[in-house]
Amino acid sequence: MSGASLRETVRSARAISVRNLRGIVRLPSAFMPALMMPIFTMIAFAGTFAAITKLPGFPTDRSVNWFMPLGICFGSAFSGIGQGFSAIRDIQTGFYDRLRMSPAPRASIILGALLASWFRALLLNLVVVPVGVLLGVRFTGGLLGILTLLAASLGTATMALGWGLGLAYRFRDMRAAAVMQLTMFVVLYLSSAQMPLALISGWLHAVARINPMTNILRLAREGLVTSASGGNVAWANTWGGLVAIVALSALTLTFAWRSLDRLSR
Amino acid sequence: MSGHPVQAPIVAEQLVRTFGDLRAVDGIDMTVDAGEIFGFLGPNGAGKSTAVRMLTTLLRPTSGRAIVAGFDVATHPDEVRRRIGVALQDAAIDPLMTGNELLRLQAVLYGIPSGKVKSRAAELLERVGLTAAADRRVGTYSGGMRRRLDLALSLIHEPTVLFLDEPTTGLDPMSRMTLWEEVRRLNREGTTVLLTTQYLEEADQLADRIAIIDKGRIVREGRPRDLKAEVGSPTLLVAVPREQADAARAVLQEFGESRPTAEGTLGVGLRDGARAVTDVVRRLDEAGVRLQHLEINEPSLDDVFAEATGHRLEGE
Amino acid sequence: MTVAAAHSPGLALRQVAALARRSTRETFRQPALVAPSVIFPLFFAALGASSFNRATSLPGFPKVDSFLQFSLAATVVQGVLFGSVTGAAALATDIENGFLDRLLAAPTPRTGILIGRLAGSAIFGAAQAAVFIAVLWPFGATVRSGVPGAAVMVLSGGIVALAIGSLMSAVAIRTGSAEAVQGSFPLLFVLLFFSSAFFPRETMSGAYRAIADANPISYLVEGLRELVLTGYSGTAVLQAILIPLVACAAAVMLALRSLRRKLAAR
Repeated sequence: MSGASLRETVRSARAISVRNLRGIVRLPSAFMPALMMPIFTMIAFAGTFAAITKLPGFPTDRSVNWFMPLGICFGSAFSGIGQGFSAIRDIQTGFYDRLRMSPAPRASIILGALLASWFRALLLNLVVVPVGVLLGVRFTGGLLGILTLLAASLGTATMALGWGLGLAYRFRDMRAAAVMQLTMFVVLYLSSAQMPLALISGWLHAVARINPMTNILRLAREGLVTSASGGNVAWANTWGGLVAIVALSALTLTFAWRSLDRLSR
Repeated sequence: MSGHPVQAPIVAEQLVRTFGDLRAVDGIDMTVDAGEIFGFLGPNGAGKSTAVRMLTTLLRPTSGRAIVAGFDVATHPDEVRRRIGVALQDAAIDPLMTGNELLRLQAVLYGIPSGKVKSRAAELLERVGLTAAADRRVGTYSGGMRRRLDLALSLIHEPTVLFLDEPTTGLDPMSRMTLWEEVRRLNREGTTVLLTTQYLEEADQLADRIAIIDKGRIVREGRPRDLKAEVGSPTLLVAVPREQADAARAVLQEFGESRPTAEGTLGVGLRDGARAVTDVVRRLDEAGVRLQHLEINEPSLDDVFAEATGHRLEGE
Repeated sequence: MTVAAAHSPGLALRQVAALARRSTRETFRQPALVAPSVIFPLFFAALGASSFNRATSLPGFPKVDSFLQFSLAATVVQGVLFGSVTGAAALATDIENGFLDRLLAAPTPRTGILIGRLAGSAIFGAAQAAVFIAVLWPFGATVRSGVPGAAVMVLSGGIVALAIGSLMSAVAIRTGSAEAVQGSFPLLFVLLFFSSAFFPRETMSGAYRAIADANPISYLVEGLRELVLTGYSGTAVLQAILIPLVACAAAVMLALRSLRRKLAAR
């Protein structure tokens, strides 16, 4: 891509994402649930399952430490999928035709949605982390732990975005939304979402072990659990998540890119 | 070479688009000349919108070829997009955005330099008479205002070819007139316009040439006046005092066969067209018939449509 | 009400029965809507069983064969709640189609109409409970109180569905807004989570424990759970039946009062 066309892509993407972000302010009723859901997940899970921290081998004695990253990854996944919902709406109202008719580079349509989902995920962290700290969350892994949480959050948003857009482009109606929600739900839950991998037994252990989401959750929680290296962020517990994010993001974004072309078929 | 500019702004050759078994557009051949207003006339589902979606790069043709603004829509869509303006049927406008915001987004998408975005938006809002509503959300606009905004959006990059898909469907007569006026003005300034419509009057009033589309095919093409002339002779209606009716009938018979009319008037299909009227009047005068009323009815586009497709577009 | 007097009680009963038949048919006719409310709770039951099986050794946990056995009661209540989403959506549609106006104008007793309208949901709730018990029993969720206990659980499932339905109707009549009905639904899930449905109260602490202690859903689920884990007992049956029944009666009363007020305002 030449410098000029890259500049053009970024400029268009920014304008598209600004339009999307305006929706947060102008239609807050659509954004509030996305913000409340992770907070609810964190509080409800941490409160209900508080006692699991007493199990031998559980990596933290604070249940909020364990469940806040889950809430954030959940919320981030939905800020990605939410862009898929918007895409369905825009395809149905014809707004996507406006974007596709313009000479703006095709990549800017996907990049614009990506920027919007990142911004929403950041906003989520900005609200959920302070609430978590009020409820007793401690970053035992130091400041680096905030970065790993953020990386997992933005990574999850990216993966979900590619998947959501791709499905929206293929189905073009609310069936896509149902598939997005269902798959995201299943992938998130069939992992170490509720329990550390070592404490899960039976079929779920087998599934969670190969589910890349387990790696990503490990990355998200790394700064909040007492890891083998004694409270510091350890490379051994982070690289797996980073690889999963890069690989899956590449996969789902390619899926979105290929599917975008289908709209004109 | 498909990248090589050709003279006519819109050329379609055997353009076909199928959806499964449905042949939505079934082999369209057409040429729109520079500076023309060309109208696609046809009912809902005739294939007008599908044709426009192909010509505007939104939909790939199944087969055939279309050259728009000098470039092939299938192989050089970006070049086509840079040169055309499009206002689609449903006025795809985000109700949460203001008119100004939409115009600025459009300006960025069309690569208008940052320094000019603001002034260009203001200029276009002024042009379509929306300056006062510029910072209101589009959701509060009336139907007519939306169409005008949509038109302004399609003009952001000063395109040489403009596509308007049913620009006045659902508008009240006043708003329709305003939009027609704006389209005429753009055309006078040199923009080639292709519009689709299901309104006979719109095609008749606005278009230099029209193509009647039925079931994905162009069934008639030409200037509205010529098309109407092809359908048949105009009908001359005269009213005369009752006692002179027989004399008048005898005179009229010389000019063509009589046509059914309402009670109290006589009708004749003028074999030689409207120019025979002066002769009719002279002959009636010579026969001593006193004319009370005279009226000439040209065949309408609806007659053309009915003759071409076997069904009528309006009413029934 | 002079109009009401013109009708015999027998006719009123027949009308209510017809409404009940209609609503039952409608519920079961939409497999795409119904399937998730059977599959999802089972998915979560399986997930929890695998995730939390080690947790059963924690202090404060009752003696259980498996976590699945512990969570059967929660699966029933959660599943019925899930299933009621369909009913709430149908109610929202009814509001938009003017059902409430017909209710106001109806010559039949209004309680009858309300209950008749909700009969489909109630039967579906009971059916869900039966399915959950039947599916999970072979996997280790043994119901100690046997078939009579299971029957009480099924009945309880039906009443819980009825209670949720009448609560939603009360909201619908009070606000007259389909959105309010849909919007108040997540609150029920919040209520379920802030109870002892998924983990024993004895393992909780602090504010969360206090909320669970005050939450009637805790006692409903605990009643059901006793039927599963220990056996048949009067208090367990009372908790499983009486709590949703009281909620249902209160909601119907609330709904009728709002209805009367609306009528007076006309």
